[in-house]
Amino acid sequence: MNLIDNTPSALTGVNDSLLSEIADRLGEFAQTGQSASIDLRSLPMSDADREDLKERLGHGEVMVKLDVAGLSEIWETSFAGVWWIRHFGGDDQIAAEEINIVSVPDILHAHQADARAAASRLSKIIQEERHHG
Amino acid sequence: MTDLLDFARGPALQFSLAVFVFGVVWRLVSLLFMPRLKDKSVKRSGAKPALIAAVAEFFRRMLPKPEFAKRTRFTTINGWVFHVGLTIIILAFAPHVLFFKSLTGLTWPALPNIVIFAVGGVTVVSLILALSHRLSSPVLKLISTLDDYVTWIVTITPVLTGLAAASHVGLRYETLLAIHILSICALFVWFPFGKLMHGFLVFLTRGEMGAQLNRRGIEL
Amino acid sequence: MAEPKTLGQMLEARGISRRAFLKYTSYLASSMALGSVAAKAMAENLASARRQSVIWLSFQECTGCTESFTRSVSPTLEELIFDFISLDYHHTLQAASGEAAEEARHIAMRENKGKYVVVVDGSIPTKLDGAYSTIAGISNLQMLEETVKDAAAVIAVGTCAAYGGIPAAAPNPTGAVGVDQLVTDKAIINIPGCPPIPEAMTGTISYILSFGKLPELDHLKRPIAYFGDNIHDRCYRRPFYERGLFAKSFDDEGARKGWCLYEVGCKGPITYNACATLKWNGGISFPIQSGHGCLGCSEPNFWDKGGFYKPLPAPIRDIGKVAAGAAVAGAAAGVVSAAVGRAKKKSAMKEGKS
Repeated sequence: MNLIDNTPSALTGVNDSLLSEIADRLGEFAQTGQSASIDLRSLPMSDADREDLKERLGHGEVMVKLDVAGLSEIWETSFAGVWWIRHFGGDDQIAAEEINIVSVPDILHAHQADARAAASRLSKIIQEERHHG
Repeated sequence: MTDLLDFARGPALQFSLAVFVFGVVWRLVSLLFMPRLKDKSVKRSGAKPALIAAVAEFFRRMLPKPEFAKRTRFTTINGWVFHVGLTIIILAFAPHVLFFKSLTGLTWPALPNIVIFAVGGVTVVSLILALSHRLSSPVLKLISTLDDYVTWIVTITPVLTGLAAASHVGLRYETLLAIHILSICALFVWFPFGKLMHGFLVFLTRGEMGAQLNRRGIEL
Repeated sequence: MAEPKTLGQMLEARGISRRAFLKYTSYLASSMALGSVAAKAMAENLASARRQSVIWLSFQECTGCTESFTRSVSPTLEELIFDFISLDYHHTLQAASGEAAEEARHIAMRENKGKYVVVVDGSIPTKLDGAYSTIAGISNLQMLEETVKDAAAVIAVGTCAAYGGIPAAAPNPTGAVGVDQLVTDKAIINIPGCPPIPEAMTGTISYILSFGKLPELDHLKRPIAYFGDNIHDRCYRRPFYERGLFAKSFDDEGARKGWCLYEVGCKGPITYNACATLKWNGGISFPIQSGHGCLGCSEPNFWDKGGFYKPLPAPIRDIGKVAAGAAVAGAAAGVVSAAVGRAKKKSAMKEGKS
């Protein structure tokens, strides 16, 4: 099927202001530790804008793939502390996409509750193994 | 449940346009059939045909005589500015073209919004200057009637509300648009009965004047 | 009875991690423009919330709203909403039927008295005491009254439940009205649209669940997070409007180039919804992107605004006939005034002569 995509493919110029916003927030984070996030999905960005921003921010040292309620991709851009977070929903559509300015994105931390559940599961496994062993 | 915009686009426009058409036709017909004294004088030799003289006079009065040019410079220029401005806004703004198309079936190209905004701004300033001139000139002030001020208000209000609506400032767009349409309804209702009627009468008054002067051999 | 489990505990047992909560709330917070700080708080609150009992009442409707709601379910992220709510009654989706179904409704009402949320889709007919639509032997009017009585809040989903919708279109034969014209003593949220955007429904429910309060609403009781923006203001075709580049018909050069659809009747400038930003079907497209003007389906009376293809500046009533009538009347009045003038002149001349 060949759908005509009417979305303007040209750059809209939103990235220039976006980049200076990121720079400001990163500067603040470096000084005070104040984290920030910028929601990309709610901005009127064209596909070309998104690609352009991706290219300009680049890839850094960390690249994470998450398998949690569908896939997610997180990578640190070539600027330390600036993370690109992309959550996929059903049908591999992007459900949420944001820039986080933080040392580690929240979703990467193991939650205490999950750790508790994991601890009890693990001890149960060990018990069962001992029992069978 | 009907909102302000539905009211403006519906009953208000329908009623005000009906009043407008009725009033204009009434005034024109009654004027044209008015009893007139026959000019029994003999036509001057060398006088032009009446129609040509009428049309010529209409255009001649678009500019002042050179001897008055300096004294009337402001009114001439300012008058031209807001008349041309209003014409551009009314006829060349895309939504207005659609309005006329829906009424008449005729359509023509529109100008980009940025041009209309600029013209709108100039027109508002020009209309304000016109009013301040009226208020600051003792003679003008003395001969001004309520009609002049009402006419000024119903003229500038659609321009201001239109600029607000087109730029989405102040209220929600649907409310601004409704207020804009209602302000035009007010203009339509006032038009035939106030000084705005010159939009039609100017052709008759200048033409008649031209024909009469020509017949008597007066050269201007 | 043991203390009911929190959503966190419940889903933990099924191996759903807190990361899933956070991902879900990031997705919702983004759709509501709340930011990632709110997403984190939402995730924590949601995990400690109890599962919400929901009673879904379908009245004069087409099931399009339910279709849209279930379209938020691809087998991954978006389906989490069905873990957060307990859909205790829904004609179309529940397995039980007949008396068993009605019994489920009554049980839910009894056990969650004062706490359950009622979702309504479809308008309620009021003429002939509501006889135009009945379920299980009672009118929709009675069922709404009975069910809403002990509800914590009512969510009117779709334009029919919110404002009467298509069934209320002129001449409104059944006397159809929206929920808020009948229910006056409960918190009501309208999520209009024909159908509403799935995220607007699930997001609002999740918001209530995690914050225990209603989201901020506009004057038409719509969540501002989803209905605060004007379609025209957020439309990617807006630059064409500003430059005066319009499609004049659906198959002309302008239409092919994706120019503004204002002239072919787009109601974007008077419509508030999230279509231009969230879009549909997982963000693939929305009507304007697909080449059709906005119908204004999230606004009251959208079907009676003079026609989907009539541009906004066009009058919605017939002007031609009225204007023609006014012209004839004006001409007649003009002739009469002139005749009166002539008669006066004649008598004046006579007087002058005598």
